Amino acid sequence: MRKKKQVSAIAASTKGDKVFDFLVNLFLVFMLVVIAVPMWSTITLSFRPNAYIGSNLQGMFLAPWKWSTAAYRALLGNDGFLMAFKNSFKILIGGVATSLFLTIPLAYVLSIQSLPGRRYLTILIIIPYIFNVGLIPTYLLVTKLGLIDKIMAVFLPGAVSTYNTLIMRSFFEGIPNELKESARIDGASEIRILVMIILPLSKAIIMTIGLFYGVGFWNDFFRAMLYLNSNKLQPLPILLRNILMASGMNEFVEISAFGDAPIEAIKAASVFMSAIPMIVAYPFIQKYFTKGTLLGSVKG
Amino acid sequence: MVTKSRKSELSREIRRHASVYVLLIIPLVYYITFKYVPIFNGQIAFKDYMALDGVLGSRWIGLEHFRTFIQSYYFAELLRNTLMYSFGKLIFSLPLAILLAITIYESKRRRLSRTVQTLAYLPHFLSWVIMYGILLALLAPGDGVVNDIIKAFGGKPRAFLTSVETFPWIVIFSDAWKEMGWSAIIFIAALMGIDPALFEAAMVEGATSWQRVRYITLPSIRPVIVIVVLLRLGTILDAGFNQIFMLYSTPVLSVADIIDTWVYRQGLLEFQFGLATAVGLFKGAIGMLLILFTNRIVKRLGGSSLY
Repeated sequence: MRKKKQVSAIAASTKGDKVFDFLVNLFLVFMLVVIAVPMWSTITLSFRPNAYIGSNLQGMFLAPWKWSTAAYRALLGNDGFLMAFKNSFKILIGGVATSLFLTIPLAYVLSIQSLPGRRYLTILIIIPYIFNVGLIPTYLLVTKLGLIDKIMAVFLPGAVSTYNTLIMRSFFEGIPNELKESARIDGASEIRILVMIILPLSKAIIMTIGLFYGVGFWNDFFRAMLYLNSNKLQPLPILLRNILMASGMNEFVEISAFGDAPIEAIKAASVFMSAIPMIVAYPFIQKYFTKGTLLGSVKG
Repeated sequence: MVTKSRKSELSREIRRHASVYVLLIIPLVYYITFKYVPIFNGQIAFKDYMALDGVLGSRWIGLEHFRTFIQSYYFAELLRNTLMYSFGKLIFSLPLAILLAITIYESKRRRLSRTVQTLAYLPHFLSWVIMYGILLALLAPGDGVVNDIIKAFGGKPRAFLTSVETFPWIVIFSDAWKEMGWSAIIFIAALMGIDPALFEAAMVEGATSWQRVRYITLPSIRPVIVIVVLLRLGTILDAGFNQIFMLYSTPVLSVADIIDTWVYRQGLLEFQFGLATAVGLFKGAIGMLLILFTNRIVKRLGGSSLY
């Protein structure tokens, strides 16, 4: 990498190379604008005061002394919003715990090369992965199990991702066999080996996979919509969806319950608030995901 | 004799791994319940499903649901929309992701490229509900930024999300915006793996930057591009349910409805469980064949497949 930079530094003397560098950076600046403007305009919109006059374009450069936090005060003071936040956290924690509890042992067992029947086991977990029967058969199952209006219904049907299991299996396969063998000779059980030897060595991959699951659960709105009817159980994405769709349709939410901020500001503020946990978690995700995804693409 | 000793060897191996199988119990129960029972329930695609009779008790009607679907007027429309969005996204966002990866790799302004990289990954982690909120702030006919720009140039504001002409573009652009950074990762990783000696040799030969990209960078990541395209073709019938579901509305139904959204409405809003399952199964079966086929090619090309 460093070598290449030296080389190109010397090479970047001709006119064509200068044009090349200019165009590369121009494209990146263009991308920066394209990516940042929608985010920025949503954020500034959320701080818009009630009596705002002027275009949204100007609104993007709204001076701080004209900002209003009314939308945020309204949201944070709203019981429905706080309850939705709490429900989302319940789904997040319950979902990630369940997912890891199921994925880790499965991935570990699949990683033991000497295991009789390992091949059949792999086929068994891959069949549902490549053959997706669609929505209705799972819906019937969840209904039959009596999970409607149970928080569990949101995370249980998708608790194990075969893809994540295979990534984790690849990681476990990379752990030197001698470590496990010596423990086995000492008479340790597999559960003990998994907990005492494998898990401490696998913190990074468990974090990565846990984050992947967590992002999925936090963002999921469709399962919650299908399986949770009660207003008291609705997670953040459902509430957010209702707020966003409530332009004239007041049957979804009583917007008036949200105080005296303009409706666009309320909408934008709830978008931003829903994104905050992802933005906070993002540096951690970024630290781990390249490792995780690379692992998945290198070995299968 | 030989088989007998092999058999006893196998049973010894199984006994040696007894505690491993114990670890498997709960995950296996999970798989059978939540992954195989739905496959079993898929039989209602061939049945006249009645909630009271249950999955097993309902009457077999053969391929009637499949016939209904294939002969109906919406079949062509659903298939057309589904393929339009999958191919549209592939054709538009893949070159963009490759271009993004190459410029991030080639740029000598580390701060700039790192910032772009970090910002570009972020939207992948946002849900389509949040994306819908951002699109509203951006595109709303009365108070969106884009319409303000149009007005500033003397144009007429448009209802981007509810007009038949613009909706497909919004779907393709917003998907590109959300996913291009994430799709670029695999190409950036491939670029990092290029042998620096190649660039040194190119420099000695007096190659320009353009020639470097044309003859070293692009050829080096070509295998990765091929594999990514193949894997995407394997899931070509998944046009992005969450996205369409969040963005579509009645005025744009004719250009927005894809197989998955149709299955949802038919099944859970109209309670046509059998018909909806048949369509889901139809899609699942074709999807499976495509995945098996593309994975075989990927494997033959020397890449690693999904399994």
